[in-house]
Amino acid sequence: MWLQLIQGRMSNLGHSNHSTNWRRWLRCLCVLGTLFAGKQSLYAQSSEEAVDIDFLFHYYEQDGNHSAVTGGIGTEELSDIASNIIVNIPLDSVRRFGIHTHVNHYSSASTDNIDSYISSASSVDNHFTLNLEYEKTFSDGHQSLGGNVGGGLESDYISTSFGASWWRENAESSRSLTVTAKAYLDTWIVIFPEELRAPGLVSVPTNKRRSFHVSASWAQVVNPRLQTALTLETVFQQGLLSTPFHRVYFGDLVELPTIERLPMMRWKIPLGIRAHYFANDWLVLRGSYRMYWDSFSIFGQTLSADIPIKFSPFFSVYPFYRFHFQTAARYFAPHGEHLETAEFYSSDYDLSGFVSHKFGLGLNYAPLNGIFSFRTSPQGATNTLRQLNMRGGYYLRSDGLRAWTVSLGFGIRR
Amino acid sequence: MKMSQPTTNRFRIAFTYLKQLCLLFLPLCLLVLASCQTVRPYERMYLNDADMALKLRQIEGYETNIHAYREGAAGANGGKAGGGCGCN
Repeated sequence: MWLQLIQGRMSNLGHSNHSTNWRRWLRCLCVLGTLFAGKQSLYAQSSEEAVDIDFLFHYYEQDGNHSAVTGGIGTEELSDIASNIIVNIPLDSVRRFGIHTHVNHYSSASTDNIDSYISSASSVDNHFTLNLEYEKTFSDGHQSLGGNVGGGLESDYISTSFGASWWRENAESSRSLTVTAKAYLDTWIVIFPEELRAPGLVSVPTNKRRSFHVSASWAQVVNPRLQTALTLETVFQQGLLSTPFHRVYFGDLVELPTIERLPMMRWKIPLGIRAHYFANDWLVLRGSYRMYWDSFSIFGQTLSADIPIKFSPFFSVYPFYRFHFQTAARYFAPHGEHLETAEFYSSDYDLSGFVSHKFGLGLNYAPLNGIFSFRTSPQGATNTLRQLNMRGGYYLRSDGLRAWTVSLGFGIRR
Repeated sequence: MKMSQPTTNRFRIAFTYLKQLCLLFLPLCLLVLASCQTVRPYERMYLNDADMALKLRQIEGYETNIHAYREGAAGANGGKAGGGCGCN
C-alpha cells in the first residue's frame, strides 16, 4: 500500500507545474525518509501481498586438461548457459507457495569423448529441474514449517526429490534454528565408453542412487552489527556413485581401460560457520568457513569472504574471494597409475587433492520503491522491477583447470 | 566382530576430524554465546540490511552448484551437496 502510494505520488509529478513539483518532491522525500527509518517493516508488508518473480541467467566456461572421461588426460572444455525462474506466491499472510525452474544447456568436450577420442566441445545436453515448495508460518510468527517436491531430467538420468524444513526463532528474533531434510532418488541410463560396450565386458551393480541430506543451522545475533550462523549437514548416499563413462587406465601392461569404480556408499559431513559484520555505514564484512570430511577420505577446508561497499543504502558493490583446499580421495590416482589389484579406482580430478581460488566482483541494486514500474496492459496490475544483481568470477584450480562465470539477476514484484 | 584394517582407519580419521571440529568450533560457539547482547527492534537497522542476510545470495546458487561438481567437498552452505544430478 505504501509502495503504491509513493508510486502514485511519483507518477503525479509529471503532470504538475514547477512550484507544485517542488512541494510534492519535498513531501515525497519526507515519506521516503519515514520509510527508510522503518524499511524492514515496509518490505515485510509489501512482500506479504505481492508475487515476486526472480529471473537469473548464468554463463559458465571452463577448460583444463584432466578429463575423467579420457582417464585423467584430455580436454575438460565445457560451456554452460543456464536460467532460473523463481516464483514466490503468498497465498495469505501465513502461507506461501514457491515454484523454482531451472534449465541449462551445455556443450562438453569430455561428454563427446565417450564415443570418440577426438577432442572437441561438440557434445550438447540439456538439464531441466522443477521444484515446488509450500511453507506455512504459525500464528506467533516465530515458527514455520515447509515441504517441497521436485524433479530433474537430463539425457542420461532422471531424478525425483522431496524434503521438509522447520524453522523456529525466539521471541526476540535474536536466535533461530532451521532443520531441513531432503532426499534425492536418481536413476541413471548407464552409458559405457565406446570400446567397453561389448556384452559382459564391464557391468555396474545398479543404475540407482539415493541421497539423503539432513542439516541443522543455528543463527545468532551477537550485537546490533554482528550476526553468525553455524550449520552442520550430514549426507548419506547409496547406489551408483561412480560414473560409468569415466575411463580408468592401469599400469603400462594393460592397454584396454576399464570404467571408474567407487564404493556404493558415501557419507559426507560438512560443517560451516558464517559471520556478517556491518562495520560502518558503507562497509559490510561477510565471511564463511567450512570444514568437510567424507568416507572417501576427502578432507576439505573452504574460506570465503565478500565485502559489500555501500554507495547508498540500496546500491552496493562487493569484491569476493574464495579459497578451497582438499585432500585426494583414497581411490584417486592419475592416468596410468592405478593398480589392477585395487577394488576401487577413479581418475576424476574433482576427487584429487588440490587448492582452488576464486575471485570476482558483484553488484546489487535494490531501491526501496523499485527501479521502475510498468504495466503489461492498460488495465493490468502494476509490475515493479525491484532489484538488479550482477556478478562475475574467475576460478582457478591447482591442477590447471580454469573457469569463469557471469550471472545476471533481476526481480519483479506484481 | 573384528573390523577390517581400512574400516578401522576410516573410523580413526573420522574421530580425528570430529576432534578437530570440537577443538575449533566449541570455543568459538562459547565465545559467541558469551558475548551476545539483547538487540531491540529499533536497533536492528543494520541487521535487517539485505547484505547482512545469513545466507548465500540468490545469484550465488549457480556457482555453489558448480563447486559441488568441480570439488569433492560440498554442503553446509545452502547449496547442493550430492544427488539430483549426473555428478557425485
